[in-house]
Amino acid sequence: MENELFDLEKYGLSNEELFSRVDHSETESEKITAPRYSYWKSVFRVFFRNKVNIILLCVLLIVLLLTYVYPSLINYDPYANLMDGTAKHLTPSAAFARFGRSIHWILGSGGSGEPTFDAVWYGARISLTLALICAGINMTIGVLLGAVWGFSKRLDMIMNEVVNIIGNIPYTLLISVLVLVLSPSFWTMVFALTVTGWLFIAYFIRTQVIIIRDRDYNLASRCLGTPITRIATKNILPFMTSVIVTQIAIEIPSYISYEVFLAYIGMGIKDMSLGRIIGAAQSAMLTPGWGYEFWSPVLVSAVLTIVLYVVGQNLGDASDPRTHM
Amino acid sequence: MTKYVLRRFLHALISVVIVVAIVMLMIYSMLDRKLIFANDPMYTKMSNNQQVVYKYRKWQDYGYVYYFTYADYLSGLMQSGEIDEETYKKAATIARKADKDSDLFKEYAAKFEQYCAENGYTTQRLDAIVNRNKIASGGQPQYFAYKDRPLWQRLVNYFTGIIKVDNIHAVKEDVGERGLTFTLHDPVYGGKKFSPAIIGNGTKNKYLLYCDNEFPFIHQNLVSINLGVSYSINQGIEITTTMTKSQGSYVLREITYPTGLTELSADDLHSAVYQPGSRELNVVAAERFTDDYTSVQTVKSGLSKMGYSFTIGIIATLLAYLLAIPLGIWMALKKEKLVDRIGTAYIVFIMAVPSVAYILIFKAIGAMTGLPTTFDIESKSKLMFILPIVSLALPSIAGLMRWLRRFMIDQMNSDYVKFARSGGLSEGEIFTKHIFKNAAIPIIHGIPGSLLGALTGAFITERVYVVPGIGGLLINAIGAYDNGVIVGVTLFYGVLSVVSMILGDVLMAMVDPRINFTSKAR
Repeated sequence: MENELFDLEKYGLSNEELFSRVDHSETESEKITAPRYSYWKSVFRVFFRNKVNIILLCVLLIVLLLTYVYPSLINYDPYANLMDGTAKHLTPSAAFARFGRSIHWILGSGGSGEPTFDAVWYGARISLTLALICAGINMTIGVLLGAVWGFSKRLDMIMNEVVNIIGNIPYTLLISVLVLVLSPSFWTMVFALTVTGWLFIAYFIRTQVIIIRDRDYNLASRCLGTPITRIATKNILPFMTSVIVTQIAIEIPSYISYEVFLAYIGMGIKDMSLGRIIGAAQSAMLTPGWGYEFWSPVLVSAVLTIVLYVVGQNLGDASDPRTHM
Repeated sequence: MTKYVLRRFLHALISVVIVVAIVMLMIYSMLDRKLIFANDPMYTKMSNNQQVVYKYRKWQDYGYVYYFTYADYLSGLMQSGEIDEETYKKAATIARKADKDSDLFKEYAAKFEQYCAENGYTTQRLDAIVNRNKIASGGQPQYFAYKDRPLWQRLVNYFTGIIKVDNIHAVKEDVGERGLTFTLHDPVYGGKKFSPAIIGNGTKNKYLLYCDNEFPFIHQNLVSINLGVSYSINQGIEITTTMTKSQGSYVLREITYPTGLTELSADDLHSAVYQPGSRELNVVAAERFTDDYTSVQTVKSGLSKMGYSFTIGIIATLLAYLLAIPLGIWMALKKEKLVDRIGTAYIVFIMAVPSVAYILIFKAIGAMTGLPTTFDIESKSKLMFILPIVSLALPSIAGLMRWLRRFMIDQMNSDYVKFARSGGLSEGEIFTKHIFKNAAIPIIHGIPGSLLGALTGAFITERVYVVPGIGGLLINAIGAYDNGVIVGVTLFYGVLSVVSMILGDVLMAMVDPRINFTSKAR
């Protein structure tokens, strides 16, 4: 831009060295210079930046396909070979020799002549469904109630006592009483695991809310007259996303684990879930040649829970906005 | 602080009482009463009226109902002198059917009915079950009354009966001169060795205070804690006894009984409890004892259920802290390096894999090293303790490591650490005096919990390695519908959990002067 007011040459200066006036433009001033930021896009960008996550997602996909699609494709009858004495407790090679090469027999056969591979994925479907439903119910109630709990002092007083009391009732006792009163069915187990399960999640969320609640920016927000509901939804919940995702990553495996534990002590559901299979095949652990029956469900539950846990944890890390730089 | 702790403790006790009330409500009111007969061979053997009566009698034992028979009522009348024995015999005879009753029976039955109506009992009369003019097996006529036990009454009875103080009027029978004797020479040791003891007459226990060479050397029987009586797990035995009584084979040694008889025996004379009329009924007792304090416990070679669980649990806990703290610190120092990655992988393994599965995996690995995988009380070998301890310690190491690493890393990034570094403090100084001290506080909070938690045992580990511990007590009780044990163990767990919470807070306040529970929150 040419400078008309001063003759700079006179002072020995070049034109570039001085400030110059820029005209005010209405349209330019409306533009925001910060780069475009989308929260969820950034979450996935960070998540997929780590190549391990892609591998884990592939494993998860395969496991999910085997858990949900595979059992509905085959015609599985656990008692098809019940009367056949030669079909029981076979190693994979013996099962191949007995039934021919097929995917069903790659893990041998179990105590009633059922193909272990099929039984394991059937069980995994029940266990995983149970875990997903329980985690869904508990997380929804827990997060919503926990958010209110963190804000209301009166509710806090009451609920702390409730936690003190409910927390001291032996969980095993509660579940077994419910299972005995109702019936050892799938939905009873869902009810038993969710009837008090949400309380501990709500307590955890409440603690997190209390930590963030009194931070300066929330105080400022409140001074400016923002209603509590908007502070909760706009200031606090986004901050909690990573905490919630991490918590889900812990919850889902913990239900599978708990289901296995209950089946082990003989209080599980009547369907052949992973837990029931592990419980039933315990004696097979140290019997030579029967190892597949025991280690396959253990391995499947381990893979299922580890993959879900690690993916959840990494998603939790990625959903923390501080990692989005 | 003391005031605060006392108030917390009082609060906690109230919640424990509520917990017990809820548990009682659950097991006595929600569960089907008939479940207790599911595994009862006696019940299935009986038939007809006998089975019905047996059912009510068992329900009374398990604490569901108050129950008494018409004959009980009449014998009560006889004892109070209202009727003589002959009338009792005649009136107690129940006819096969109501229309064949004698007049005397009718008279007393009416009184019985009236008494029951006044006290809220429901009466029931079962006519004889006749098969071809003969009374069928178990088909005798029955006449009895019962009343449901209300929850609040059960709760009050339970809590008032928990602490029992022995006194010289505890025994109802005539025992001669009641009183306490203090002696410096305990008669159990022959009366020559110096060993102070307090011996009671008229008390439930003979020895109220005595000394021996076992920890804690001075023992008392004056105050006892009664958590309830077991019905099916350990029939008729108090829960505290079930938990603390030693197991294994008898330890025989030379014993001189009060009568002077000397023989090899496992009896522990210090545990003598009054047994009315035992010397008249039992020749063995008469030969050995000079009074009716004849019911003694035996000395056994093994530890108690709680002893085994506690030994394993406490060593595992100490091991876990000793290993997890340096490992967690190491992980935090080498953040994102190989050590941290291996540690994280292990933590993920423990967090994600079902506990049943990884303990079985530990067992399988342990079996490969040649260590004993099953527990044997009779064995003197200490090797059998190794695998249960390791299996218990490994998961808790993961938990501790995870939190310590997290807290350390959080502290490392905090402003005061950066400030300390810019102030020129050495890394070692920053580390020990700033980071570790602060990061350890939440870990310290958990120490009382894990130490006291060792008393409750570990169910899966004990079951996998066949340890005769306490971990399975609650689950076995649930399986056997042993209501007494369920309530008692719940109370025990509840008290332990609230006490460890309070102790954790106190310990934390002692370590960190910034934490103050007494001042009001802002």
